[in-house]
Amino acid sequence: MEYIVVSVLNGVVHGLLLFMVSAGLTLIFGMMGVLNFAHAWFYMLGAYVGFTLTRHGGFWVGLLLAPIVAGATGVLVERYMLRRVHKYGHAHELLLTFGLAFIIEEVIKLFYGDALVSYQMPDYMRFAAFTIFDTNYPFYRLFMGAVALAMFAVLYLLLTRTRVGIVVRAATYRPTTVEALGHNLPLVYMAVFAGGSALAGLAGAVAGAFYPTGPSMAVDFGTLVFVVVVIGGLGSVVGALAASLMIGLFISFSVGLNVSIADLLGLFGLGAWAQDIGGLFTLQLSTVANSMPFLLMLLILLIRPAGLMGDRQ
Amino acid sequence: MRTIVLLLAALGVLVLLPLFLSPNLLNAAIKMMIAALFALAFTLAMGQAGMLSFGHAAYYGLGAFAALHLMRAVEQQLFGFPTPLIPLAGALAGFVFGLAFGWFATQRTGVYFSMVTLALAELLLTLAPTWNALFGGESGIATMRGPSWGISFGSDADVYYLTLAWFVVSAWCMWAFTRTPVGRLALALRDNEQRVRFLGFNAHVARTLIFAISCLFTGVAGALLAIANEAANYTIFSAQASANVVLQTFIGGAGTFFGPALGAVIMTFFARVTSDLTRSWLLYQGLIFVLVMLFAPQGLGGLVALHARRVRADGWKYLVAPYLLCLVVGLLLIAGLVFVVESIHVVLSDAYTAQRTAAKGDWVPYELFGRTFEPASPTTWAIPIVLLVMGGALLQPARRITARAWLAATREVPGDPAAPVGPVAHAEPSPAAAAGQGASS
Repeated sequence: MEYIVVSVLNGVVHGLLLFMVSAGLTLIFGMMGVLNFAHAWFYMLGAYVGFTLTRHGGFWVGLLLAPIVAGATGVLVERYMLRRVHKYGHAHELLLTFGLAFIIEEVIKLFYGDALVSYQMPDYMRFAAFTIFDTNYPFYRLFMGAVALAMFAVLYLLLTRTRVGIVVRAATYRPTTVEALGHNLPLVYMAVFAGGSALAGLAGAVAGAFYPTGPSMAVDFGTLVFVVVVIGGLGSVVGALAASLMIGLFISFSVGLNVSIADLLGLFGLGAWAQDIGGLFTLQLSTVANSMPFLLMLLILLIRPAGLMGDRQ
Repeated sequence: MRTIVLLLAALGVLVLLPLFLSPNLLNAAIKMMIAALFALAFTLAMGQAGMLSFGHAAYYGLGAFAALHLMRAVEQQLFGFPTPLIPLAGALAGFVFGLAFGWFATQRTGVYFSMVTLALAELLLTLAPTWNALFGGESGIATMRGPSWGISFGSDADVYYLTLAWFVVSAWCMWAFTRTPVGRLALALRDNEQRVRFLGFNAHVARTLIFAISCLFTGVAGALLAIANEAANYTIFSAQASANVVLQTFIGGAGTFFGPALGAVIMTFFARVTSDLTRSWLLYQGLIFVLVMLFAPQGLGGLVALHARRVRADGWKYLVAPYLLCLVVGLLLIAGLVFVVESIHVVLSDAYTAQRTAAKGDWVPYELFGRTFEPASPTTWAIPIVLLVMGGALLQPARRITARAWLAATREVPGDPAAPVGPVAHAEPSPAAAAGQGASS
């Protein structure tokens, strides 16, 4: 029972964090078709901006300015780089953002060094929200979850209930028609890219204070955010939330389970045979927890290529 | 005929090269050739069939591990197998897994194909460190090259010739493959898959086959790496490795046959040299990627092809001076940038901070490029500013002059509708661009 409750709690919070990072990408990827490999590096940028401003102005200033800095960087990237290579196709956009990821990471390393920086939450937020099975559950985890849920609500309402959202969604399906109706399509794209980057920046500022902030924080999310977007379905915010929660729960449950395929086969009396073969059959589920998201993505792509909530291929 | 003479000359140079190279450079040459083979194999799927695989490191790594296991078996004298033929094991592993994984991956096209290949490679990357029997855990597996056919394979020179032989044979096979009916079908698949299906071909089978053949040669490259290093571990599967080959291919130019090999050679050499010199070499590498994508989207090979096609026989006399000017401008900008980056590096380093603390917070002089500079003095800051301002001011004139020279050098080419304004910024859509669009459809 304790295992289940703790796993669910950790999985949900981890999933919500994943959603914060990938929500922006699902907009960029789904609406502009840009495979923005550098997305996780905007998350890293946000964390470092938050860290810097926490020292010079306070935690909340950092939280406010991190998305602005990340969004402004996004504007520059979209306006002066991506727009130029758009006509050459997806591969060029992907490779451009790949180079960009290098640049962001190396510039940050240039100024902050290769070691972790100590980005801390303010002391008044450092307390246990409640105690469960003798474990103190930190309030900050709940705070992160709340920020993610607020982000989801704002995004969802913005996209489905406002005029801006209608234009953005229409631009996904019929860009030329939207342009013919007099909307400034390049501006829409720039706004989507900037907004997506800003969300990643905010996620970095929020999560960086709890998780380690260091040069490798972007690489850890680099490909995982694509997994979330593909599983959820391109451009679907609801899908991204569902996929993030699914992955978060999947990982947190499999980390705690020491079962292998051999144990499963043991139920059918084939355990000894599987133990003899070894290899893949005796790998513990807990040690391959990190493979789970990719396995999930493969399954989704083969069964339902458009993703959970996607409606296009 | 001219091409054949050129290729033979290049081969001659490569054969004689080990006589002049230092051991360190010889090792670099081996790695460059392996990278070139990897890039050529990748281009078979990417440039020819428009399949942007983002997980080719999987087949590279599988080829390497297959070769290592075979070498280990030979070392333990389970059976005999000639060392020069060990890349066949890599080829087999690459082909078999290419068929199996490719069967799944090629059911999707465009971005989804890239995602499936990425997922398969990531799956291997996360499995490998925990799967001791096959991948030797986190430390990987190591073994020794055995002597065979009267060659000891102890020295790098032996390995160089082995790699060269496999490179030449594989490159020729791949080139010949593009001339076969299946190779032609690959181009057709890239350009219009629907029409291929309409003509009665089974597009899925064709794509699987082409993908598997690409993986076959990727496996050979991986096996050659295993022979050269005598070891490998799970990091060979990393997304970084997969991305590297994509980047090298596009920097070289995915639309030409030898462009990717050129890109791989240059970038491997660049990484080798700069990673010894500076800790920020990844920053410079990232800048190169971004600049090439922005200003030469068809890659270096595309630029060379453009010149070969468009410049008149006597056109070079117009181009030499403007290109020298561009070179000077580029060097000025690069020098300014490198000075700033390396200065920041030194001044923010722990060693310098310790010196400052020792000097009670004074800005002590720092050392760079064998000279000392005062961080607080205006002359130190004037160096990069002058370099960057000069380069920046000359940039626009240089572009104008180059554009004019390009017009003069390419005028009156028969069958040329309108000469482009500049060789770089407004070049015609190249096959590489077409390939990119093919991948996106």
